[in-house]
Amino acid sequence: MNKNEGKISRISRSLMNKEYSCTEITNKYLSEIEKLNPQLNAYVNVTAEEALNTAKKVDEKIAKGEKLLPLEGIPMTLKDNISTKGIETTCCSKILEGYKPIYNATVWDALSRCNAVLLGKTNMDEFAMGSSCETSCFGGAKNPHNTNHVAGGSSGGVASAVGGNIAAYGLGSDTGGSIRQPASFCGIVGLKPTYGAVSRYGLIAYASSLDQIGPITTSVEDAAIVFDAISDYDSMDSTSQGRRQNATDSLKNPIKGMKIGIAREYLDGIRDDVKSAVLDAAKVYEQLGAEIVYFDLPALKFALPVYYIIACAEASSNLGRYDGIRYGYKTPKYNDVNDMICKTRSEGFGREVQRRILLGTYVLSAGYYDAYYKKAQNLRGAIVKAFKNAFEQCDLMLAPTVPMTAFECGKAVSDPIETYLTDICTVPVNIAGLPAVSLPCGFNSKGMPIGMQLIGNSFCEHMVLNAAYQYEQSVGADIFKTPDVGVSL
Amino acid sequence: MVTHDDILQIARLAKLSVPEEELDALTKDMGEIIEFANTINNAADDGEAFDNINNLSNVLRPDEVAPSLEPQEILKNAKDSENDHFLVKKRVL
Repeated sequence: MNKNEGKISRISRSLMNKEYSCTEITNKYLSEIEKLNPQLNAYVNVTAEEALNTAKKVDEKIAKGEKLLPLEGIPMTLKDNISTKGIETTCCSKILEGYKPIYNATVWDALSRCNAVLLGKTNMDEFAMGSSCETSCFGGAKNPHNTNHVAGGSSGGVASAVGGNIAAYGLGSDTGGSIRQPASFCGIVGLKPTYGAVSRYGLIAYASSLDQIGPITTSVEDAAIVFDAISDYDSMDSTSQGRRQNATDSLKNPIKGMKIGIAREYLDGIRDDVKSAVLDAAKVYEQLGAEIVYFDLPALKFALPVYYIIACAEASSNLGRYDGIRYGYKTPKYNDVNDMICKTRSEGFGREVQRRILLGTYVLSAGYYDAYYKKAQNLRGAIVKAFKNAFEQCDLMLAPTVPMTAFECGKAVSDPIETYLTDICTVPVNIAGLPAVSLPCGFNSKGMPIGMQLIGNSFCEHMVLNAAYQYEQSVGADIFKTPDVGVSL
Repeated sequence: MVTHDDILQIARLAKLSVPEEELDALTKDMGEIIEFANTINNAADDGEAFDNINNLSNVLRPDEVAPSLEPQEILKNAKDSENDHFLVKKRVL
């Protein structure tokens, strides 16, 4: 049986052994992007010059015989809501067209300091609001397994690029599942870290009490390497704490005796093919010596409306800053300042973003605040407590990532509530601020990938990734295979 | 029941202008979304307000003078500016 290998260490080895130069590898990626991007629509901005400049620096280092850092010279991508100094960052919204940040997000500062090769910025749902990437003003990213299907959202572009092998890895953001859901749809790995583990400075805000940056990769080892590189205390983010434990060093720990919990609520309303793939994975864990325990978590029943109320309330406040005065789009015709702001916002924001701003404004407005926002906050407290109790019965939890596999293009946009329901398994983790990784656990009869998630207690990324790695090593490369396109090294 | 007037009132608060032709569709969508949000009314909670996640407390850095961004850099992203300022249409109340 072939095992799924880490891509980052493989590329790093071939650089150190001088099998390829960093410039050669970067050019390979850039030429595959040129070939595949018209179909995948993963990248919205390719930064070839920036990439080749970094590659040159790495090659000079190798020529001098200097040792490379783990992520040095590895071609990667960033979701278009992560600020990159001097490089257009739009959140795939017309309202931020032409916006070039004047500072870097802390995560990009950390990666660029170790010469990560930025291939470009990738597609996303506008302001990360969506589950199919189709609310992007550039049109949606496509699924590399079948381009008639969506890549998922909101970090659809990163997942499409990584799954289509036109980036070795990428960083996305996860507010209600936006890393894990597209990773699941594209058959790859996506880690949503604990709230506070990774700095959010320079991440353009959607819902600040839920947003978190994390890696999207083709292997668990790669997710651990990237997580270790980006999780650090940052004085620029007052919620930042950094990580408690190195994740890469824990991957090979045996999981014998580990208790893995399954909350029955997570299996309700899940499509049969997804459910059986997840339950098969539970059997793999039993064979690895873990114990599976079942319990009820009734608080999960209200997670989805709680999520939408809190996320939209925070979004309506965060997105108040787009007024056409300081950056981005400004309406050409208006009467006075108020008219300018209203027209700028209505012309600049897409329909889904406006819907969420309206819902957020509604739940925060006089007369409705107690019934919606305050009630949702109380229920959030109940969900946090329910998870706390659950982790007294188990070490990790296993659940599907999404109730279904990737839907066909164009199916998500018509009905907002139907689309919101696809987030039912991912939002509880954001509400409780917990870490979770999505990883592939099979394919359906049409060859579309199925994903499962492992959820950990706060700051237990090392345990979550340890269990994910043991599964990956046990089931082999077939479950983790990406389509035969893009760069193979 | 969400009415056209409700939508126009929230839109005014959110500084969005809703075009006449989109009002029907938006009222219908918002009605469905709010009905969905109403499902939490049936949920029992212990009335305890949520404080914060993971018992995080603000991590404050020392209040020291440090260089900040250059005004000219900041103004590069503005459509209209003058000297060290953003420019907006004159408003007299």
